[in-house]
Amino acid sequence: MIYVENIRKEFKKTIKQPGLLGSVKSLFNPKTEKVVAVDDISFHVPKGEILGFIGPNGAGKSTVIKMLTGILTPSAGLCTINGKNPQKNRKSYVKEIGVVFGQRTQLWWDLPLCETYAVLKEIYEVEDSAYKRKMDLLNEVLDLQDFIKSPVRTLSLGQRMRADIAASLLHSPKVLFLDEPTIGLDVVVKDNIRRAIAKINEEEQTTVILTTHDLSDIELLSKRIVMIDKGKNVFDGTVDELKKNYGQMRELHFELAGDSSLESLAYKEKFGFSDDDINIKREGVKATVRFNSDIVPVGDMLSYTLSGVHISDISVKDADIEEIIRRLYKKEVSADA
Amino acid sequence: MLKKIKRISKMHRIFIAQDLKKLMEYKVDFLTGMFGFMVYQTINLLFLWIIFSGIPALHGWSYDEIIFIYGFSLLPKAIDHLFFDNLWSVGYWLVAKGDFDKYLTKPLNPFFTVLVEKFCVDAAGEFIVGIALIAVTIGKVSIQWSVMNVLLFILILPCATLIYTGIKTITASIAFWTKRSGHITHAFYLMNDFAKYPTSIYNDVIRNVITYIIPFAFTAFYPASYFLTGENPLFNLGGTVIAAAVLMTIGMLIWNKGVKSYESAGS
Repeated sequence: MIYVENIRKEFKKTIKQPGLLGSVKSLFNPKTEKVVAVDDISFHVPKGEILGFIGPNGAGKSTVIKMLTGILTPSAGLCTINGKNPQKNRKSYVKEIGVVFGQRTQLWWDLPLCETYAVLKEIYEVEDSAYKRKMDLLNEVLDLQDFIKSPVRTLSLGQRMRADIAASLLHSPKVLFLDEPTIGLDVVVKDNIRRAIAKINEEEQTTVILTTHDLSDIELLSKRIVMIDKGKNVFDGTVDELKKNYGQMRELHFELAGDSSLESLAYKEKFGFSDDDINIKREGVKATVRFNSDIVPVGDMLSYTLSGVHISDISVKDADIEEIIRRLYKKEVSADA
Repeated sequence: MLKKIKRISKMHRIFIAQDLKKLMEYKVDFLTGMFGFMVYQTINLLFLWIIFSGIPALHGWSYDEIIFIYGFSLLPKAIDHLFFDNLWSVGYWLVAKGDFDKYLTKPLNPFFTVLVEKFCVDAAGEFIVGIALIAVTIGKVSIQWSVMNVLLFILILPCATLIYTGIKTITASIAFWTKRSGHITHAFYLMNDFAKYPTSIYNDVIRNVITYIIPFAFTAFYPASYFLTGENPLFNLGGTVIAAAVLMTIGMLIWNKGVKSYESAGS
């Protein structure tokens, strides 16, 4: 479905010295340097998959998405959707994709929402019957009827995002690009949007490429993750693989009984943890100890804790994806492990 | 081909309708704008009358002929302003802010979409003034209104318009590399003031510049002088056609190259 092969993007950047004088200097004698935003990234997405595309700020995610949506021309490499290339036949390429940039809107700001849909229908040449069917479905999954007659400028962020997602799906694209679709939204709206994405994906077999900083989006929606950092591909695999490979972190939750104090537990000294391998938090009687289970097995941690303090309740939690990714972003685990 | 033209004109209609609806959406703004516009145009006409009453004849051109040329110059400018005003936004903010993205993810030609997205009703004023000036002088100047000349008049207007559009396209496209080029467009656009008067009143440098380099003289003085004198149709009208063709071709080449170099903006 989507093939990305050795895609690369370089930008020319003018180096400016600070201050007005620096600006004047660079006006007459500009020094430029080449910045590689995306460096040789390849991946493949089969039809119907929801791919989580993640990476820290400035990793090059948006640049990749913009190349895949035909906005930017790659410096090298190729991307194709259904064998079509955005640089060769942009128009038929973009008919197959839908794009939502969470930070921008494609809706007609000053007009009622339904006007946007009416124009998009014409732009994408959607048949009347297909349009009606689609609007019914979108209405059902995204609850648009309450504000479809309101001017876009009066919509709340959550409504606007739902409206934008609907706008990108009107022409039944085969691939949907969602760049931070849940940014700045409350939990209920986030949930709503996730359910809608899952439903569209299921009903229409729409392939989805999703970038987000909210990892619950990924955990709830996608089975596969591509992670990039500094323009390079650092992980490509399923969420399960990610957990298996990097999920050595476990969390020990317990409640202290009586007047027990945590100070009697010297995990670091006892097991020789480095700072990154252990993290202890305490709130009242509740304590959370996050540790690397590759260094010390869970059993040993449990028996050491139980022997050191009085405990009224204890549980062990699996590593969550957020923790793994935090560590990956900080380069604590090696990518080729 | 016919289907394509049909689709293009349909999309054009839709975009114009959207823009008009947008105007009506803000009623107070719209009505105030209309009022201000009337006042502006009235003052403009008064001002012109004051200027022209001071100059009875200029380098062999009579008072009425000069007003005819002036009126003629407003027509292509108004048509370009009415339909293609949005090119200014490319140089001022569409590229710099990354808003140009939206044109590239739609199955429409980005150049076409930029052009038709905005419909500048203000331009109607220039158009009306232009028509009015031509109307009041038409009886007093010696124009042969043969069928041929009427046809030529109608055909030369779109060409003269495209000289404006071409110059704006070229200067707007520079923004794809420099991020902003609104002031460049502005600097070139200002030269059109020279086109309102007979070129014979300028020195050689300016005359050559507005004839061969930034050929605004072909948007007004040259074609108008053909209608007034019947002389040199090959240069006066042919030049307009050639200038329009050359500028639009260069404009499209730079535009297309520019779109490939477009860098968007971080988000």
